[in-house]
Amino acid sequence: MPNTDPLARARELSLAGLLGALGLLLPVGFHALGWAGKVFLPMHLPIVVAGFLLAPSTAASLGFVVPLLSAVLTGMPPLAPPIAPLMAVELAAKATVISVVYRRLRLPLWVALLLGIVVDWIVLALAAVAAADFFAIAVPPTTYLWGVIALSVPGTIIQIVAAPAAVAGIERRLPSLVPARKSNPASPRSASEDDEP
Amino acid sequence: MPHHIDLYLKHDSPLHRLDTRAKSLALAGFVTAALVAPASPAWPLLGLCAMLASTAFLGRVPARVVAQRLLPLALVIGAPFLLSLLGGESTRAAGGSFAARSLLVAGAFLVLVAVTRAVDLLETISSYRILRGLGSLGEFILRGASLLLEEVIRTNRAWALRAPGARAAKRVAALTAASVSLVGRAAARSDRVGAAMVLRGFDGTLLAPPPRPLPLAEIGLGTAFALACLLIAGLGRWA
Repeated sequence: MPNTDPLARARELSLAGLLGALGLLLPVGFHALGWAGKVFLPMHLPIVVAGFLLAPSTAASLGFVVPLLSAVLTGMPPLAPPIAPLMAVELAAKATVISVVYRRLRLPLWVALLLGIVVDWIVLALAAVAAADFFAIAVPPTTYLWGVIALSVPGTIIQIVAAPAAVAGIERRLPSLVPARKSNPASPRSASEDDEP
Repeated sequence: MPHHIDLYLKHDSPLHRLDTRAKSLALAGFVTAALVAPASPAWPLLGLCAMLASTAFLGRVPARVVAQRLLPLALVIGAPFLLSLLGGESTRAAGGSFAARSLLVAGAFLVLVAVTRAVDLLETISSYRILRGLGSLGEFILRGASLLLEEVIRTNRAWALRAPGARAAKRVAALTAASVSLVGRAAARSDRVGAAMVLRGFDGTLLAPPPRPLPLAEIGLGTAFALACLLIAGLGRWA
């Protein structure tokens, strides 16, 4: 169905493209510097920012596409063992929760971010259970989950520090690019935020 | 010249020329076979390995390249495998099975992306109505990544020309600072891209790529490969 506000839709798509490109290139830069992606979670940062700036459906699609595209373009995260598919589910859920909480429910940024991180861990645990069954992986999912959480503490701290700063910077410097939040009556995007990308 | 990040190897081989849909079909069959084939006896997995090696040879994908690209997986595949050696017989068998299947599936994906351009893969995904949004978003990301990469390379080159003897840490710091402003510029640019899309007639609907005729012979080839892989796995289970 055609979108009621093509300009806002086009801006959102191009912003999604930019954030997705960052999601591809940041991990490449981190790996080039020899910093472990599993520790600093460079791919998570643009997706978290996307959750704050994009409509839920677009943010979810972006979170789902970026790890899989990165696996195809750079070979990392690997498709087998199934780290890229797990990350796709994890990032899609995280971006959706952040977008819904921040843009729809209009709760504060910190609440959205922390809820997003918690949901990320829960989804990761569920996805790990499913993948462990499917791929006959001998490691118990809880062991995997605790390992991932412990490893990702530095990356989570980076997200908590950098994502709000990035969102505030973009909202302040490029207000035209950022769609207004759902319940703002002046929002040109309010009628079209639900559309598929 | 635009810079692309992908794992495509530019050659002219039968596999490079093969339709992307046929290659995807063959990959799906191979991956399914690798996941369902029994680990013991080992011949079904060895048979699939031989099929993968001959496919890579046909696509002129050097074994050295596949090995290099598999190297970053050494930790994620090697560590669980080595840990499993400390356990009992069943744990060792599970570790070996996990490592063998992971290597086969990862190797198959690496061969596919070495003989298929990322743009072609995304176009194929976009041709399916249900996946159109994801495919189109992937194409947006690919274009954005090319632009950003080009800017980063240009900035790095300019820095190298101005301060050729600078220490790596200083260059990284300068590149990071330049990248932050680059992202700001790219965000402003995406605003203009959005306006340009509307001027060109974008009405909020993502269009499908023009339909391509289905090359039945090539699809048949892909199906035959997939069936051969599944046959090996099936015979292994039956035996």
